[in-house]
Amino acid sequence: MAQSATGRFLVPLVLSAMFLCSAHNSLWGVTLDPSRDSALTSQDTLVDRVQEKVVKLFGAGGAKGLESYQSGVLIGTDGYILTSWSTVLDVTSVRVVAYDGRRLNATVVGVDPPNEIALLKVDDAGLTGFEIDTTLGIRPGQRVFGISNLFGIATGNEYCSIQKGVVMAVAPLTQRRGKTKSLYQGKVYVLDVMTNNPGAAGGALIDIQGRLIGILGKEIRDEQAGIWLNYALPLDVVQVSMDRILKGNTSADLESTKVVDKPHRLGDLGLTLIPDVLAKTPAFVDQIRKGSIADRSGIQTNDLILLTNDQRIDSRKSFERVLSTLNRADSFELLVQRGQELIRIQVRP
Amino acid sequence: METTTITSIVDSSTQRVGILCVGILCVGIPSLPKVLVALCIALPACHAAFGQEENSFPQPNTKVLEAQNERIEAMRKAARSTVSVHGSDGQGGGSGVCISSDGYVLTNFHVSSPFGHRMRCGMNDGKMYESVVAGIDPTGDLAVVKMFGRDDFPAAELGDSDIVRAGNWCFAAGNPFVLATNLQPTITYGIVSGVRRYQYPSGTFLEYSDCIQTDAAINPGNSGGPLFNMRGQLIGINGRCSFEKRGRVNVGVGYAISIKQAMNFYWQLRSGRVVDHATLGFTVATDTKGRVSVSNILDNSDAFRRGIRFGDEILRIGDRDIATTNQLKNIVGIFPDQWRIPIRFRNEDGIVDTHIRLQSLHLASELEEIVAGENQKQKDAPKKKLPQQEGELEEEKSKPSPKETTKDVLANKYTAKIGYSNYYFNRLELERIVAMQSANRLPTVDNATATWKWQGDLPAENQRFSGEWSDTGLTIQFGDQTDTLHPTQGWLQTTKKQSPLTIGMALRIWQLWHSVGPYGIGEAVYLGRNPVIGVGELQDCTKLTVGEVTCLIYTAPENGQIRVVEVFADGQSEPAEIYFEKYTTENGKSLPSLIRLQFGLETKLIAKIDSHSFLDRPAKEGL
Repeated sequence: MAQSATGRFLVPLVLSAMFLCSAHNSLWGVTLDPSRDSALTSQDTLVDRVQEKVVKLFGAGGAKGLESYQSGVLIGTDGYILTSWSTVLDVTSVRVVAYDGRRLNATVVGVDPPNEIALLKVDDAGLTGFEIDTTLGIRPGQRVFGISNLFGIATGNEYCSIQKGVVMAVAPLTQRRGKTKSLYQGKVYVLDVMTNNPGAAGGALIDIQGRLIGILGKEIRDEQAGIWLNYALPLDVVQVSMDRILKGNTSADLESTKVVDKPHRLGDLGLTLIPDVLAKTPAFVDQIRKGSIADRSGIQTNDLILLTNDQRIDSRKSFERVLSTLNRADSFELLVQRGQELIRIQVRP
Repeated sequence: METTTITSIVDSSTQRVGILCVGILCVGIPSLPKVLVALCIALPACHAAFGQEENSFPQPNTKVLEAQNERIEAMRKAARSTVSVHGSDGQGGGSGVCISSDGYVLTNFHVSSPFGHRMRCGMNDGKMYESVVAGIDPTGDLAVVKMFGRDDFPAAELGDSDIVRAGNWCFAAGNPFVLATNLQPTITYGIVSGVRRYQYPSGTFLEYSDCIQTDAAINPGNSGGPLFNMRGQLIGINGRCSFEKRGRVNVGVGYAISIKQAMNFYWQLRSGRVVDHATLGFTVATDTKGRVSVSNILDNSDAFRRGIRFGDEILRIGDRDIATTNQLKNIVGIFPDQWRIPIRFRNEDGIVDTHIRLQSLHLASELEEIVAGENQKQKDAPKKKLPQQEGELEEEKSKPSPKETTKDVLANKYTAKIGYSNYYFNRLELERIVAMQSANRLPTVDNATATWKWQGDLPAENQRFSGEWSDTGLTIQFGDQTDTLHPTQGWLQTTKKQSPLTIGMALRIWQLWHSVGPYGIGEAVYLGRNPVIGVGELQDCTKLTVGEVTCLIYTAPENGQIRVVEVFADGQSEPAEIYFEKYTTENGKSLPSLIRLQFGLETKLIAKIDSHSFLDRPAKEGL
């Protein structure tokens, strides 16, 4: 074949130009292979793998601004579910919808108000959850995925939603500007992705290997700037909560705890709670008698009693029951919510 | 705010390096080989210049770089077919995607509707193209718009939305916040958060079924724009977001109408009609055993005729297994009305596989109301109305003056008609179909058809089959039996009785279609492309009103040949289905040689035709 001098010159030049282009990762010469997805790894198998470890939770709520649904993360093989402590859980049994569409009932094992974490349990469901490994070092810049039932999009056996993001910062939640409605003030992973939507709280934050690295937090908004913050609670924080809940006396133990002969009584303490009109009327302080034990201990009107000696108080009734197990001569500890603060109070007779 | 990669930035900066080098060196040495030499020198030089700074960072993994280059290439490819949709004054805007080289654009109904029928579409070649609306689908929030000005528009490559899975990477292209003032689309990158999502109509009639959920930032202005997979193939039309209390910006949840659904409706939308969605003719509920079972069924529905009854369990629709009512709603939402789709159900006797015809979701008047309501909204909107727009709505029914044609490319591209968003396109499509059969035109004089005689047999019955159609009527012989049919009257009763004479009707329609043409027969409406049982490809479907019956004419998209004629007596009874199974070529014309009559799903008669003769009356007189 006849070739002109220019042609002979041109071919190696084009080849070398192409080689150089590829060597320097230029755009030239890139062709998309239609037979495969991409050199980028699709995360569909990851999604499949973790779906069965995330559950949809349904409970109280439904009024404006208060969703009746959220997300939960299965832990281990005993049916434990970690989730965010919220009003959704203010029901006798929380409806759990598993990845396969099964509807199960969960009981609240306990709550850890300081970290706003709740632990639920479903019995004999044969579900396998995440392992908790607190040794995974999470650093800013790391690729993460959020899996949750945000906006309650998925129902039945439909997959929870996956979102991709990056850990922007590992920082205490107090570093934000402005006021928020978070009780928790400790370390969080700040995310660049809009994970913290209605219903997302309690969902899983996973790394690219599909390992659990955090629990998605609540919706938090900077009241000055109007900016919504997306964050997750690190696993070490979650682990502490889980330990505290499992170590502490659970509601179940409370049933068997003996009532003492001379217990504390609301009247003796100088405490008036709001009238018990609901199945689970919150233990809100209505009035404090001047000079009473309650007054001297520092309890104030409008305090919400959350824990008594680390036992969960989910209603006025449960508070009275706990009091009935405490000897009138003994002091005890309360955890109350006052505004956006959590306060520990020693009640000394 | 989460917006990861914007290609235009990545793209242009990379190009800038290249162009800069070429630019400098071209000045002295303009010939091609020399430019290449220049490139060889320039590229390593550029790299060397930046190399020192890069040394402090670890070298990126080549896999990552390969992935990045692929991503950039996919986005570059995708940007070419992405369209920004504006009003005819160039104001306002949404997005769209071009899917054919002659300029058909898919967008959202809620994007196109505020602009009336006229708009302008921008592409990343930096040009604005005059455009006009074709069809609209108010229920599914889709519209097709046609751009004018080129015959080589860059069309998007279509992907398969059925294989899209949660966890796949994807990206949206479009015109969020009307940012594309330079007509370069904004690209937002994300992951598929979920598939086959069903979104209830939220305060409107817009229902999003079977959609793709993504965390790629979809914002106001992205509506109507494309969602691509990482091969740069179109997988969806972005249209909706979950907003709730966070205002109208993305919160990590956007929805795209699957391209499968969009393409099911594409030809319907090209018809210029106000397109409708479908219902099964029955409703379902999840029973105590968790089964999806029929809770209510209309006794005049095709589903009822196919044997579906109250309490039967629905197992499969189309190509999807059904386990929940959401799955059923999802799959039904992707089909246009009149489609005939496979269904599997279980009754006491076992599992039954059959096909059912879907019926319209809305009454024609309801669709009118929806469209009128949208037009009203548009009038109420505090938006400048263009005087020319209003004028056209009323006047363009008449032919525009030649002067206008030279000035305005859209002048003769819009025809108002009740039931249509732009009737112009309906005629265009039907003319396209008829034109494909121009070689098969049968003789006519003064709109009268020639007398047509045929001879053949009924293979199963081992009988002769012959007939003769003229403008005075049909005479037909099935063996020894002779029947007659009036050219227009008695068709309704004949069809209701499931008479074999319905074959004669189909043959008459076939004859008229090829002589006086569809518009010469009666009211003719191109519907779009519909499936025919046993035929893989979708067929062009035209509705004809022939005297007292309504017919659907299915023609092959590749050559316009009539495949099936369905004759409907009324909405309740079984239509006659006449399949033109084979054609022979005689004197250069394709003529039917094997015809099959079917009612329901049962074949009633197969007829073979061996010879045809056309007695051209006026020509005979001439002799």
